[in-house]
Amino acid sequence: MSAASGLRARHFPEAAVRARARTGCAAVFPPDDGYGNTVFGAATAAGADLIDSARLVPPVFTPRRLERLVDLAREPTHHDVVLDTVLGGFSSPLPVYLSAFGSTRVATGDLGLAASRQAGRLGIPMCVGENIVPVNGYRAAAVPSMSLLGRIQAYAAEVGDGGGVVVQQSTEDADAEVWNLVYSDPGARSLLDSGRLAFELKVGQGAKPGLGGMTVLDRAAAARVADQYTVDPLFGADGPRVLRCGSPGTFTAEILRHQVRLMRNNFPRARRWVKLPPARDVRQACAVAWEAGADAVTVDGAEAGTGWAPTGFLDHVGLPLAECLSRIGRQPSCLLASGRMWEGTRVAKCLALGATGVGLGRAALLAVDEDGDDGLVRLVDCLALELRMIISALGKYTVDALDAEDVWFPGA
Amino acid sequence: MVNAYRTELDTRPPTAPREHLTSPVTRAVLRIQNGILRATRDFFAARDFVELLPPIIGPVTDPGTRGSKQVDVDFYGNRYKLMTSAILYKQASLLAFDRIFHVAPNVRLEPLETASTSRHLAEFHQIDVEIAGASAQDVQDVLAGLIRHVVGHVVAEQSTELELLGRDTAALTGFVDRPFGRMSHTNAVAALRKLGHAQDPHAEIDWAAEQVLSHEAGAPFFIVDYPKGSRGFYDRESRREPGVLRNFDLIAPEGYGELCSGSEREFEYSRIVSRMRETGENPAKYGWYLRMVREGIPASAGFGLGLERFTRYVAGLPAVWQASAYPKLPGVVSP
Repeated sequence: MSAASGLRARHFPEAAVRARARTGCAAVFPPDDGYGNTVFGAATAAGADLIDSARLVPPVFTPRRLERLVDLAREPTHHDVVLDTVLGGFSSPLPVYLSAFGSTRVATGDLGLAASRQAGRLGIPMCVGENIVPVNGYRAAAVPSMSLLGRIQAYAAEVGDGGGVVVQQSTEDADAEVWNLVYSDPGARSLLDSGRLAFELKVGQGAKPGLGGMTVLDRAAAARVADQYTVDPLFGADGPRVLRCGSPGTFTAEILRHQVRLMRNNFPRARRWVKLPPARDVRQACAVAWEAGADAVTVDGAEAGTGWAPTGFLDHVGLPLAECLSRIGRQPSCLLASGRMWEGTRVAKCLALGATGVGLGRAALLAVDEDGDDGLVRLVDCLALELRMIISALGKYTVDALDAEDVWFPGA
Repeated sequence: MVNAYRTELDTRPPTAPREHLTSPVTRAVLRIQNGILRATRDFFAARDFVELLPPIIGPVTDPGTRGSKQVDVDFYGNRYKLMTSAILYKQASLLAFDRIFHVAPNVRLEPLETASTSRHLAEFHQIDVEIAGASAQDVQDVLAGLIRHVVGHVVAEQSTELELLGRDTAALTGFVDRPFGRMSHTNAVAALRKLGHAQDPHAEIDWAAEQVLSHEAGAPFFIVDYPKGSRGFYDRESRREPGVLRNFDLIAPEGYGELCSGSEREFEYSRIVSRMRETGENPAKYGWYLRMVREGIPASAGFGLGLERFTRYVAGLPAVWQASAYPKLPGVVSP
């Protein structure tokens, strides 16, 4: 893009400066016309992700393989690795759950439903995201499959004895009383009666720690939620789309502790999960949540997230997942991690660094987009096979046996 | 006409209004309830209370109700709520009068499993009291006085109905001259754990536990000082013991369980905003209330006595729905 004078600044982000000069605040975000068919989250340059750069390192001496050999009376193979895990009170055939997608338009409608059905078939726990009720509705949505209950029922229709559904609520969702709606709904009763319903308090998220939810809405949808959210005409006063901003919610240790206790008090039959952003005090926040009775704490690394975020936040704000895990350390309580998960080695490294399980977000959406009937099931099958091979190679046969000794960081 | 199949105390909910309303049992219960209301109004009139007609709908209602769902009303394009309790309006009412009461209808869509507790109705009434400048102890004294007065009145005036229902009036008159017992939440948790009940020390005394304590008791008693995290933002936190609320429940004996919750109230703006966050509320939702609080409201204490539960206890009924002419059990579609 040239200017009238032909001025050039070769070692400077000239194009980005000119874009801001041309379009104003819209340039703080990714292009809004990509909204609805693109999932976001941080771009990571090759070698820049600490977890990607780490290596899993098998030992020569494998005392646990000897234990397994004695058990089996034959040499064990990767087929003998047991992946079954308990995640936040729910049994899962492997240490993986389906992350919440939020109200991002990509995840509503067919993709969200397909992901729910396949997660149910796999028997892995499924989180359903914030803002779905205020934006899309609870029971009746403009498109019925977009509603929260639609996704819960799609999951429940496929799931066997395991798994469970986790319903998120953020500060704005509290206005819609999402948890109250679900807790007393006959449509969710089978999950509640079988101990497979959890509520997740959303304290923050990976892609934009410190900010609330952000979605791009058309003007009609924005008008419906204008009394609950700040609506920003960022893409032009007369443009077809506007930015809807949620608040991050105010938390202190006391507020978090009592919100978790109140979940326990008000919904005694539901499990309690807490989702934290990649914040500098993530370790203290985990401790408060667990002490107050959280069954699981989910930490989203800065590289996580499917939804809309300012580009500066995607690249520069929040701790990477590796640093979050390092700060938290291995704990006796359930710690779940998410951020760029899609294959077995990254999952194994996170488990070795202290996570109990990991969430699939963007990968799950891409998989169901590739094949709405079996895409996620196949992706998870690949992941399970890789995990079995890796854990076996490390001389171990259960998920919880992975430890920091299994991972090597360059320069360590 | 005597209803052939509703002459006994029966725990089956009615399937039709005729069956329920023509039963001699229902008629006796409703007469007792009428006596309770008459005695209540006499009691408060003698103490200079003003009875206000309660609000039915509003932009917000009491969020501090365990796991129950609120009912939305489309108010000219705005989302309003049916009252789950009138607590916010009770505090507002003290701008007009220092001592007020409502006989207030409430709707709470309670969790489905409460349909079988014998003590939950989705639609019910509360004798709702608020007193400016009162302490928790002051309103406990008012409540105990009210219970004594009403029970005394019903026993004296409605022996025919009590006899028809087979109520043992000795159980009602035995405690009238004695002060009501008090037990802290901490001691209640310890007592329950001793009895083998896994009570969460940070939570409300659960329904099963309440029944256990109620069965053990020979007279109504107070459980006081609940932990923060078990109640709504408006129950006042002790300044001397942070984390402990200046609140109470009144538990009826004989297994009838909780009749009433009450508390000193938070009334200072910044405290209320902080407490709203601790209870997971978005302060933006409470615009009118917070504007009023910011301009100043009186310190107060008050309580809400469940009318149908109180009737059930006085009349000695197996289930609370029997104390309603038009019972709505959670999840049960009924007239």
